[in-house]
Amino acid sequence: MTSLVSLDALTLGPVLAVAAGAALVLLLDVVAPRLRGAHFALGAVSLTAGMALAVPGALGSESTPLRTLCLPAPVGACFYEAGPLASALQLGALASALVVLLLVWPAGRAQTPQLRGGPAVLVALVLSATAGAAAVAAAHDLGSWLVALELATLPAIALVALRGTRPAGAGALSLLTTSLVSFAMVVLGAALWLVASGTPVFSSGAVERALRGEDTRAVLLLAVLLLVGGLGFKLSLVPFHAWTPQAYAGGTEPVAAFLAATSKIAALAALVVVLRPLSQVGAPVLVAIGVLAALSMTVGNVLALVQDDPVRLLAWSTVAQAGWVILPLATLSPGGLAASGGYLLAYAVATLVAFTVVTMVSAAAAPLDPQALASPAPPHGRTLAAYRGLLRTRPLLGAALGLALVSLAGLPPGVLGLVAKVVALRPVVGEGMWVLALVAVANAVIGVAVYLRWFAVLLQEPEPTRGPVPRAGRGPVAALTLTGAALVLTSVAPQLLLGLLA
Amino acid sequence: MIALSLLVPAATAVWLLGAGRALPHPMVNRVSLAASVLTLAGVLGAVLTRPSIDRSWVPSLGLRWQLAVDGISAPLLLMTALLGVAVVVHTARRPPEGGTSAAFHACLLLVETGALATFYARDAVLFFVAFEIVLVPMWVLITRFGDAHRPEARADAGARFVLYTVLGSTLMLLGILALVTSAGTADLDVLARGDGSGIPEHTQLLIAVALVSGLAVKVPLFPAHTWLPPAHTIAPTAGSVLLAAVLLKMGTYGLVRLPIAVVPDAFAKLAPILAVVGAIGILWGGLACLVERDLKRLVAYSSVAHMGFVALGLASGTQTGMQAALFANVAHGVVSALLFFVVGGLKERWGSADLTAARAALREVSPRLGFALVVGLAASLGLPGLAGFWGEFLGLYAVWSPAAGLPLVVLRGAAVAGALGTVLAAAYALRVARLVWAGERLEPVIADSRGAEWAVVASLVAAALVLGILPQLLLSATADAVAALVGGGA
Repeated sequence: MTSLVSLDALTLGPVLAVAAGAALVLLLDVVAPRLRGAHFALGAVSLTAGMALAVPGALGSESTPLRTLCLPAPVGACFYEAGPLASALQLGALASALVVLLLVWPAGRAQTPQLRGGPAVLVALVLSATAGAAAVAAAHDLGSWLVALELATLPAIALVALRGTRPAGAGALSLLTTSLVSFAMVVLGAALWLVASGTPVFSSGAVERALRGEDTRAVLLLAVLLLVGGLGFKLSLVPFHAWTPQAYAGGTEPVAAFLAATSKIAALAALVVVLRPLSQVGAPVLVAIGVLAALSMTVGNVLALVQDDPVRLLAWSTVAQAGWVILPLATLSPGGLAASGGYLLAYAVATLVAFTVVTMVSAAAAPLDPQALASPAPPHGRTLAAYRGLLRTRPLLGAALGLALVSLAGLPPGVLGLVAKVVALRPVVGEGMWVLALVAVANAVIGVAVYLRWFAVLLQEPEPTRGPVPRAGRGPVAALTLTGAALVLTSVAPQLLLGLLA
Repeated sequence: MIALSLLVPAATAVWLLGAGRALPHPMVNRVSLAASVLTLAGVLGAVLTRPSIDRSWVPSLGLRWQLAVDGISAPLLLMTALLGVAVVVHTARRPPEGGTSAAFHACLLLVETGALATFYARDAVLFFVAFEIVLVPMWVLITRFGDAHRPEARADAGARFVLYTVLGSTLMLLGILALVTSAGTADLDVLARGDGSGIPEHTQLLIAVALVSGLAVKVPLFPAHTWLPPAHTIAPTAGSVLLAAVLLKMGTYGLVRLPIAVVPDAFAKLAPILAVVGAIGILWGGLACLVERDLKRLVAYSSVAHMGFVALGLASGTQTGMQAALFANVAHGVVSALLFFVVGGLKERWGSADLTAARAALREVSPRLGFALVVGLAASLGLPGLAGFWGEFLGLYAVWSPAAGLPLVVLRGAAVAGALGTVLAAAYALRVARLVWAGERLEPVIADSRGAEWAVVASLVAAALVLGILPQLLLSATADAVAALVGGGA
């Protein structure tokens, strides 16, 4: 009996390895519930395997993507298609999930009491959300796209709630509510897309036909608007951003890092899947995306400027950076998609470094204090003042955070951020969208103010009344080494990152 | 040679920030001195042998390490490298306040690297990247190592400096990206040969507006100059010197390299505005100097006026004007460095730079510093025989008889305003000389300049004299490159 669709397990590898890892972790917990470190090791192995399997796709060419799950000959459509951009985003999602896993890695005998449900649940949630992110990047039909998108979202909500404190509950609830609304918008958009293009597969031919027809054109554009709006929730674009600071500040720092990196990559990957067929037929410039980009940058930056909790600051900075991420998409050129992906990956590297340092500083300030966890006030160490003189007291941490901050601001020595800014602005200027470009210029300035405000704290004289610094766990140190090395390497040779997308 | 002069200061700075953080000040200073002398040797070699580097860096952006030297950049490169040595020598007996000595020296070296890379760059996007390198180290110099008594003012001055400059450079980036996407290359030499042909006229104008307005912040031209006085006043002496002598030049150099060379027709449309803005800057700076109470701030305002003369020269559109602008660039570099060394030294000795406080007359208690100050002021007001004269005189001459096609009335009006500005300059220079240098008071006594400080100041005095007496040295160096750039003209 021949199967309905062809299946190539190796091509599906980036998704399968991670999903299998999630299942195995749960199985392991049933078989050997006392093995705590093993869950993390298993998770790390499956993520690494997924990354290795995503490499061939990233090295391929955009015209001949890796395909699988194809229907038999007369239809020939494939449900899974991974070109260089999709594979690069998969790599980014998997790598950032690996960093998050390292951040929650248990330190020696002491358990991490911060998250309920034990290590198995935690690792399984991270892995399944990551599998969803990897799947959505390569989904090529509406059905698997929707399923993968939700798979990438729902475990993240649970991750926020796992902390079990009141702010965590509030954050998870607001994330859940917005996710439901966004799901409704996305489903409606998907239905309209199906009506307009007549096929559940994302294909440029169908889109071209739909754009030619008078009636279908309006329906298709409405569908795109709804899809962009729905994904806007996940990307934290203004006006769909309200959940972001709540969820970031409510969850633990590693979970916030997951939301800032892996979840954002998933959301952009989903958006790229929708916009790619449009860009291939040279659809008109999407003013709506430009407006969202301008609003997100401005609101995010201005509110980041007044935050005192570093996690909230990074949350608002996510909002602002999301604006930069979709800035090149406003032109809808094929180069715009790659530029957007490049900017997002550069942002993910820098923000992961920042979150790693924040995790380590918070852990040092309040080492596993159950009392502090129960109180509704923000935990000790979650103010900018906790970073006074970090460059003096803990030079490596300070240097890593400093480099991450200048990178986010787009200033040398954070060359990666600077080059990313050039990448994001080039399509906009190339298409002559000067108003949008000027908004971006203003926001580049405010962004510098945001990040240098924090950087200045690092440079100050340290407080004299500090006891000895507690030793950091092995996991966070490994995460810092990994992300820090990635940031330094890509700053010296930005091609290492941008080359993945071309 | 080029690679040597960029890698040595950069690598030394990274080493100082990493392994050398805890070294004592004299050791750090000696290492930095060696690095800056080696850098100077590299620059000298590069200027003499004129090598070029062309290596791919970020292929997906088309970004290349494309570095070379020509007549326009050579004087600026030499000046930057020389001042790089001078600031390190000057710091020898002055352990910096506010942070470690290693961080201070690393910042100085990084600023030098960024400035050299900017002057070397022949790729438009690389030019932008190099342009940005100086920002963070200079910000650290201002906010950490600036005036120790005024932490609030330090933060404010640093933030202003960095935010204004980022605004300017990002605007410039828009212009560069528009240029690169519409011309299809980022090679500045190819772009300069093309003279903007093939780019639609209104796009050219947009490009020129973005480039000129962006660079005008850095120069700075009126009304974008408000970041300059606080930054120069608060920065430590070495920082003020680098700011005035090197960083401002990056703006004027950018104007020559980008809009004037690449989209000359569109730049000609903006030239009258540039001339008017320059003239306002000259008058504004001069008037501010007449009433300013803080000596360091006064020197900063005089920089605004001098940059106005450079703008006048550039606006004239003639070879003479361009030559004048480039000459004034270098002359201002020498003279402002001299003045900031002297004034910074005085501020250290006096404890403040307030002109209204009663001081001992310099000519009585510290004749060397007094002499250097008088030479600096005289050069600054454009006295013949000193460096400042040629740039101002030729600039005014050029803008009086500008290139064909420019509105004569506007440019001549600007020339008259500029001439008035030289009168103002004489007035404020004499005011300072009367308040600080002349007089009979002997109390409170301050130490005269000696050792490293005097060596640095004396060589700058000598440089100001040499440039004033033998302007041909510099004018002939830039002549060919300028002729190639402007083509014909007066």
